[in-house]
Amino acid sequence: MAIPLLVVLLSLAKGTGETWAHLTRYFLLRYLGNSLVLVGGVGILSTILGVSAAWAVSRYAFPGRELVVKLLYLPLAIPTYIMAYAYVGFLGNGGTLVRIEEMIGLSPSGIDFMNLGGLIWVLALSLYPYVYASCRVAFSGLPASLRSASALLGASGLRYFFTVALPLATPAIVGGVFLVTMEVLNDYGAAKYYGINTFTTGIFRTWTALEDLRSATYLAALLILFVLVAVYLSRLARGRRSFVTQSVSGSECSARIVARGWRQWLVVGAVGTPLFFGLALPLGQLLWWVSGEPAWGISFSLAWVGLQSLLVAIAAAVACLVLALALVFLSRWNQLDVLRPISKLSVIGYAVPGAIIGIGTIGSSQLIVDFFADNYGWRIGYLFYGSSLVLLYAYAFRFLAVAYHPLEAHCLKLGKPLAEAAYLLGDGKLRALRNIELPLLVPAMVSALFLVFVDTLKELPLTLILKPYDLNTLSIAAYTYAEDEQLAKAAPPALLLILLVAIVLWSISFGKEAKR
Amino acid sequence: MKLFILFTFTAVLLSCGNPSSESTTEGAGAEEKTVTLYTHRHYDVDKEIYAAFEKETGIEVNVVKAGADELIQKMEIEGDQSPADLLLTVDAGRLVRAHEKGLLQPITSDVVSGSIPAYLRAEDDSWVGLTKRARVIVYHPDRVDTSKLSTYEALVDPEWKGRILIRSSGNIYNQSLLASIVAHAGEDAAKTWAEGMVTNFARRPKGNDRDQVKAILAGEGDLAVINTYYLGLLRNATDEQSAKAGNAVKIFFPNQDGRGTHVNISGIGLAKYAPHAEAATRLIEYLASKPVQERFASINYEYPANPEAKISEELESWGSFKEDKLPLTKLGEMNRAAVMTFDVAGWE
Repeated sequence: MAIPLLVVLLSLAKGTGETWAHLTRYFLLRYLGNSLVLVGGVGILSTILGVSAAWAVSRYAFPGRELVVKLLYLPLAIPTYIMAYAYVGFLGNGGTLVRIEEMIGLSPSGIDFMNLGGLIWVLALSLYPYVYASCRVAFSGLPASLRSASALLGASGLRYFFTVALPLATPAIVGGVFLVTMEVLNDYGAAKYYGINTFTTGIFRTWTALEDLRSATYLAALLILFVLVAVYLSRLARGRRSFVTQSVSGSECSARIVARGWRQWLVVGAVGTPLFFGLALPLGQLLWWVSGEPAWGISFSLAWVGLQSLLVAIAAAVACLVLALALVFLSRWNQLDVLRPISKLSVIGYAVPGAIIGIGTIGSSQLIVDFFADNYGWRIGYLFYGSSLVLLYAYAFRFLAVAYHPLEAHCLKLGKPLAEAAYLLGDGKLRALRNIELPLLVPAMVSALFLVFVDTLKELPLTLILKPYDLNTLSIAAYTYAEDEQLAKAAPPALLLILLVAIVLWSISFGKEAKR
Repeated sequence: MKLFILFTFTAVLLSCGNPSSESTTEGAGAEEKTVTLYTHRHYDVDKEIYAAFEKETGIEVNVVKAGADELIQKMEIEGDQSPADLLLTVDAGRLVRAHEKGLLQPITSDVVSGSIPAYLRAEDDSWVGLTKRARVIVYHPDRVDTSKLSTYEALVDPEWKGRILIRSSGNIYNQSLLASIVAHAGEDAAKTWAEGMVTNFARRPKGNDRDQVKAILAGEGDLAVINTYYLGLLRNATDEQSAKAGNAVKIFFPNQDGRGTHVNISGIGLAKYAPHAEAATRLIEYLASKPVQERFASINYEYPANPEAKISEELESWGSFKEDKLPLTKLGEMNRAAVMTFDVAGWE
């Protein structure tokens, strides 16, 4: 799995390129600073949004709750660059806001959104569902006994949240924020449009404008190092504490309560903020663009593109899930200690800019192609350039972390006792896995599948480089138009993408939620 | 779960395409029925033109769309097994780079060299320009005195302090413009110019070319440096706010008394290891022909590279202008120096 990464790392041996001195002198520190502010800002904002929304829907009952639970996932379906364009289209010069102001007779003035703050806002609103998704799983698994015990001990609802629920959900929050951070580090389109130079745009500048792939690879390796440190820190934060909760017989989950008074407003704010700014506003802008385009409509070709995207995304999601499960359990059983560093290595694919992985993947598949050409005289290039095999492999490498983290977090919460009990009763490891652990992991598995599915649907750089020519995806269709400043044409594929995610979201059951 | 596995297989199979026909038709002498095009262009009109070509010649055009840099990288790694026949980019610099990396071969066609002027082609004909776009000044007529406008160089005068709008230095069109200044006047002069521009910026560079025009209408600045075809697209946009912004500004072609206005191209190169070089050459000839040039260029408000092709009405209304006839190869050669100059000058 880690071969593309190794190809990248091996190229480090050749040393830095000739522009290294130039880039360390003129922009590296500035770009790094921007990236750190961005990661910090988006991390904090998405945690606040994700945790409060997850808590509000897990703890409180309110009308339309079932719908809200699912709607809260949807901003994830809007690619960040589309969200970035939509915000400028709404608030910027000549945007929808200006139009509205003109209509109601105010002096028209747009809001400048193309700055670091704006970028943080846009990224946090399209990425908070990662935190939300993992927290939902964590909060819905909290046994009622904990709540009752806290109440008996005199803890207020607020205190229960901060001292009991939140600490127990820490692995989930850390896992979610980790994914958000990786996405932020990978963002290229939104940052470029807003004119914010980040570490990732710096890698591209070095590679494409300064024509120095070697220095670019070096920068990518630095990024990998940064991520390794982050992974290490998140493990350090978890320490040796245990997050296992044991449910006693009876009702596993406490009943949801109806919020009153000021709490009611808090709940409305917690779910309303992300829904309005992350979903309603950008969606509204997209619909506005579509309505301005005369020849719009879900044409047959668009539907075909949608179907292709769907199939590829499902295939990638399944591949990632299977691999992630294998990694989690093989390293848990501890028989294969070798796997531990590998499991860490391969989840880093998520942090490396997609284009770099793309190059690594072409490089490694080229090794195979060359091998057959040299030894047997077979020209099997078409197998690699004409099919989706390489693309699927690259997706699996890239998104393994997305599947791995929720599963790992959930496994930590389940702990080993159940499996150990099964072993004591004479079950083998595989049997225990099949009969006991996997069924318990279903919510986390569904959430992992869903996240990889959505990520693959949105994925750009890898798909662009590695796709065979007869494959076209919605994200590519949306991006190619948006890049050329034809937003009205970018809107229909973007909307179809959101619709697809919505359909999948409604057709899958989020494990426990549905059973109850 | 079984359903998922089924889906997985279907997905892989579906997207496998038709590899056998691909590999077996490569025999010498066999009529070439496909051509694979790596392209950075993604306009709807391109698709229609390829379909028309297919109808006319029976040659199927396989299109791989991605950024030019990725495509060049891909061709480089794929080496002699690369399926690419042609590389189509939206600037000369990338074609020059592909040529320097030894990824292109000369196009041997009298039709092509007869229809595209020499300054728009590589010295060895390994690539040719298909459409031209000029980088011009657009300004608000009420706030800018036209008599003060003359050259790109004059934009650094104190007169324009806090009034100039332009996008970031990461953009290839800005890089090419600065590369042309490096080629004409040297790196020191280019650095002085870039620094002077930074001093005169109305705001931090951000957004795309259309955003600069919208910012003029909103009063954030008085003039902008943009590509011609974006103005054409804005003025003819269905969205009335965009059209309003496009019509609020006037166009000025700089450096008319000197070297001429900077132009860049969208161009095509023939891949070194093209499996279907013959069919690929036919496609280039087709794209360079007068009727196709008129369609290819006009829909996107570009200037055709073939001088016989008529320009669209919109462009006609902007008047004719003198082009900078600097060999485009220079833009590619100077691109890196230009980017480094941007960094030194602090042009974000």
